[in-house]
Formats: sequence, C-alpha cells, structure tokens
Amino acid sequence: MFREIFNNILGKKPAIPGEELTRIAGKAETFEYCGERLHAIFGRSVRIRQVDAGSCNACEWECTALGNPIYDVQRFGVDFVASPRHADILLVTGPVSLGMAEALKKTYIATPEPKIVIACGDCARDGGIFKGAYGSMDGVGSVVPVAGYIPGCPPDPATILKGIMEITASLMDGAAKKS
Amino acid sequence: MPPYNEKYIEVKPDEIASRSAMLFRQKQSLRTMFASDERELDGAFRVYAVFSPSNIDSITILSMAVKDDGDGYSYPSITPHVPAAHWYEREIRDMFGIIPVGHPDDRRLILHGMYGKDVHPLRRDVSVEDIKKATDITREDDYEYMQVKGEGVYEIPVGPVHAGIIEPGHFRFSAVGETIYYLDPRLFYKHRGIEKLFENMGFVRGVELAERVSGVSSFSHSTAYCLAVERMAGVELSAKANAARTLLLELERLYNHIGDIGNMCAGTGFAVGYAKGAVLKETLMALNKRITGSRYLRGVNVLGGVRVDVIESADDILKTLDSVKSGYKSLMAFLLDSTSHVERLEDTGILAKDIAWNLGATGIAARASGIGDDVRRAHPHLRYPSLVFETHTRSKGDVYSRMMVRADEIECSLSIIESILERPYGGALSVPVTAFPAGGCALGYTEGPRGSIFYWVKADAKGGPLRVKGRSASFCNWPVMPFAVHGNIVPDFPLVNKSFNLSYSGCDL
Repeated sequence: MFREIFNNILGKKPAIPGEELTRIAGKAETFEYCGERLHAIFGRSVRIRQVDAGSCNACEWECTALGNPIYDVQRFGVDFVASPRHADILLVTGPVSLGMAEALKKTYIATPEPKIVIACGDCARDGGIFKGAYGSMDGVGSVVPVAGYIPGCPPDPATILKGIMEITASLMDGAAKKS
Repeated sequence: MPPYNEKYIEVKPDEIASRSAMLFRQKQSLRTMFASDERELDGAFRVYAVFSPSNIDSITILSMAVKDDGDGYSYPSITPHVPAAHWYEREIRDMFGIIPVGHPDDRRLILHGMYGKDVHPLRRDVSVEDIKKATDITREDDYEYMQVKGEGVYEIPVGPVHAGIIEPGHFRFSAVGETIYYLDPRLFYKHRGIEKLFENMGFVRGVELAERVSGVSSFSHSTAYCLAVERMAGVELSAKANAARTLLLELERLYNHIGDIGNMCAGTGFAVGYAKGAVLKETLMALNKRITGSRYLRGVNVLGGVRVDVIESADDILKTLDSVKSGYKSLMAFLLDSTSHVERLEDTGILAKDIAWNLGATGIAARASGIGDDVRRAHPHLRYPSLVFETHTRSKGDVYSRMMVRADEIECSLSIIESILERPYGGALSVPVTAFPAGGCALGYTEGPRGSIFYWVKADAKGGPLRVKGRSASFCNWPVMPFAVHGNIVPDFPLVNKSFNLSYSGCDL
C-alpha cells in the first residue's frame, strides 16, 4: 500500500495517459469535446439519476464504466447521484416493465424542476427487442415525458456522454430561440 | 430422438416426489424445473424436473403429464423433499396455474399485484392482449413480506429504485441494531415476459433475445440457447465454431471475474482497488469490441455457429491478455497485501455448504462453499472435452472464498484461451440450421460467469417454438442470499451482494 502511494507521488504520471485512452476507447477526441460542451452548459454540475426500468443491465454497466479512470466523467462535472431529489437528468434504461412503471413515475415526481428525461438504449425508445412482450410498456415515453433518446444496444460509454450532451445542447438552443 | 446424454423418464403425479427425492439424495443437482403447455400435442400440461450429477455426463429428466382433475390442474409438490425446487414450483404456479399441492409458500413469485390473479401468461391459449387486459399498474401489491417479531426488531425497506447504478429489486431487512436477522428479497420488478416472447419470435430470432436476457452474460445465454436448438435439430458444429464459442465464453468469464474482484473493493470502500479493477475490465471490453464488434459479444452467435472468426485475431487477443495478466497479478498482490480490505472479506457473508446444496446454489456461490460443480466438466460441450482444467473450490463460503475462487478461475480461463489459440481449426464458421423437428426437444447448457445456465426448447407440430425455458444462474442463487447475510451487519450487505454479483434481469426474464 505504502509502496503504491510512494510510487504514485514520485512517478507523477496520470493514472491513465492520454494515448492509452485513445487506444482503449478509440473516441478520445469526441469524448473530450462532449465533456467540455457539457461543462459549458451546466457549469461543472450535471447530476444524473440513473433509473433501470427493465433493461438487460448492459446499459447500467456502460453508465458505471463512465466513472472508471479511463472515461472519468467526473472531471467534466458529470456525476451519478443516489437520489432523484439531487438530479438534473433522469437517465432511464429499459422498455419499462410493468413492475417498474409506478416506481419510474414516482422517481419522476421526486425529481425537482427543471428536469430532463433521457431514454438510454434501443429498448428505452420503443421496447426494442422486448417490443410486444406482455410485461413491456414499449418505451420510456409511454410513462414519462422524454426529451431525447440515445441509440445503441447498449450504447457505449462515449455514445452515452455524447447523447447527453447533444440532447441538453439542443434543449438550450431551443430555449434560447424562445426567449 | 433426444440428444445422447438426456434421458426422459415418464412419471405419474404420485411418483414425482419420491423419484425426485431419490435423485436428490444421490447428489444429483436439480438443474431446472419447468412446465410446458402441451395440450395441443397430447391434451395435457407437462412438468419437467431436470437432474444431473457433477461427475457423470448423464441428465435425467422426469416428465409428468398434468391433466385437469375437474378441480383444476395440480400435482403433489416436490419442494418438501427437494428444497431447491421451491422457486421453480412457485414459478410454475404463477405462469401456468398448475398448483404444487403441499408447497410451503403460497405467495406469488413472479407476477406482482398488477397482473390479474387468474391469468397465467405461459398458457398457450392466453394471448398477450388477454394478459394486458387483466393488468392494472395502479393496483396495490398485496405481497406479504416475511416478518420477524420481537423486542427491538425493526424493518428497513430498500428499493425497488436503489441508490447506485444498479438494477431494481426490493429488499426488506429485519434488523436488531445493526445486525440483520432476516432479509426478504422481492424481485421480478423487471419481468418483461421474455419466455412468451421467445414463442412468438421463432427459433432463429430467439438468439437475439437470448443475448439480451442478461447484459454481462450475453454470450453465455445465447450459447446455451443456440446449443439447445442445435441439439434439438441434430446439427453438428464445425471445429472452428466450437473453438470460437469456447474462446468467447472464457473471455466473458474473464471480464466478469476481474470486474467483480474490482467491484468488491467498492463494497469495502477501497477506491484504488476498484479503479484498478475497472481499468482492467475496460481493457477487456475494448478487446471484445475489436475482435467481435460488440463490447458485450453480441451479434456473434447464430444458430449453427458464429458470425465472426475470432481465432484470426489471435495476436491481438494474446497481446492484450498478456498486459491484462500482468495488471491482474499486481492487482491481486496489492489487494491481498491490504489487511484492511482482506479483513472485511474474511468471515463475512458465510454461505454454509448444506444450505447451498439444499437450495440448489450454482457457480461461484456453490464452489466457494465446497460444492465442486462445473457444467463445463459435468457435461462437456463445445471444445471443453479436449481441454484440461480443474474445478476450483474453497470450503469456507465467505466473501473472501468467493473472491479467491474467481481469482483461481481467472488463471484457468487465461490458460484455456492460450491453449485454444495454439492451433488452427478447420470447417465453416457456421452450418445452416433450417429444419426444426416437429415435437423435438433438447437441453442446452453452459457455465456462465455466475454459474450454470440452462435452456430447454421444444418445437410444436409445425416446427415453431412451443416452449423456450431459460434458467439463469441468478435464479438459483438469489434464494441463498438471505442465509448468507443472516447475522451480518447491514453495512456489509452491499459487500456480500457484490461477492455474489447476481443479475436481476437474468432472474426476472
């Protein structure tokens, strides 16, 4: 343990060097750009509450991956929070199973205004592969109002960040035009 | 003609309990149990109980016809003799309305309050519209949680929406002070009706659905499903397809196990260990993406083989695994060197061997408690018969044992992958599977990262799917969780939970 700390202090190298990120994630440039745009829009504070409404759990793992040292979205001020009361964005995955419909509604009500709901993954859009199953509500939009969709099954971490950025940026543009 | 290792035995309703009890006493695990609506074939429902030992490649399937005795459908429950059957029989009651008489728990398991009480979704004459008509999402759930009574006992309800980025489920803790007396997990919030959907999708498209049963076990699920359909159709795969599937199964195990060891650090608040584990996992996910085009190995399996020749990427795989291996070795040395981490793991969340056996635990959960069961060795499939590897077990059943079994299996998977890539393989990537024998049925199975996965498929008179039953490892392991956390403190629950790493989605189907 002490050796580890010692090495980190003396070595003074970042945990994951930049070229490593490019090699592993392959999309470092766009990723950095998305992060900085988000930073500009929200001013170092985007709080996301992730709600699983019947997904296969792949989308959740990709959201978790956003927090790992390779993507490290916290450096852009993006963070996943434990309570909807702390959230700006609800990131909902899954087709919305019947069992989760009520819980999703309550989570939505508990989120303070202004709130943005983003449906993440193909099945969150219209049920995807689960479309037509008896336990599926076929999309997040059938339960709560949705601002935008992130495509992919599952979307990879960079796509999720890009999706959040694009959807919030378009909302900002829309609001700017109105006023 | 059933596949070579499946033996179907016709039993009468009054025999099934004694026959099951006998097999269970002979140390044969209850692999899965399910019903099937075969009224269109021979006028009766059928209940199947699948048993097999861990050392002989022979699977016994008890098959029982259940007819309407004027008072509805019922048969004597086997749960009093084979405790491992308790969830399966409740599932059968919910989905088919077949009553296991004498079952100790008459609560509904899968269908929550919003589903109509008299609608049994998997009956063939019940359509999706019928089910939707009888549901009302605002209807109150009348589920009765198990209660612990006494002075100072209080309940902590958690969920279904949890604090982290995790799947939904409700946990009802009964605690005294910080100590957990009982945990009653309520799952199936994610129930989407996947088994019914399989029947409507056809065998070929079913592969895509099987891939989406459980995210990080995508490849294990789709392989088990494909094997079931291929065995039913009597198709032999090429050596190349078998090698590719075996390789990808081991890669899936690898990224899961390494990720899980890292996640356990999150359970003890050990951020550095967690971060190091996450980097290794990410490296493996990126490898998956490079060699198959999908981080979750989706879109690779097709009936009859695979779409991508992953053996061609041998250089990339070996090079990446080399760097992962050295990273993993230093991570393990780092973790085991940290007394504060290891002390939290030792003696926490102990799962006793007899409980694990009686409740039918599988995979890591069973092997860490001393049950040496591994489907790769019990029923060799794909390239496993020609590979040499061990079943790794520990005897204590605590969180530390589960971490160490994973560590041993990581080494094992690394050497399996290396030995697969040592030689070239002939044959086509996939062979066409077009004809499905009317009334044919077969099992498919594989050892996923969390434990054994079984699929059973049966074709109807026209060769379409009559029944597709999927049983994930988590379905077997959730019921043992209350016993592992009993006597532990509430703050250790996340750690115990992470050490099992169970899927909600794979369980809820």
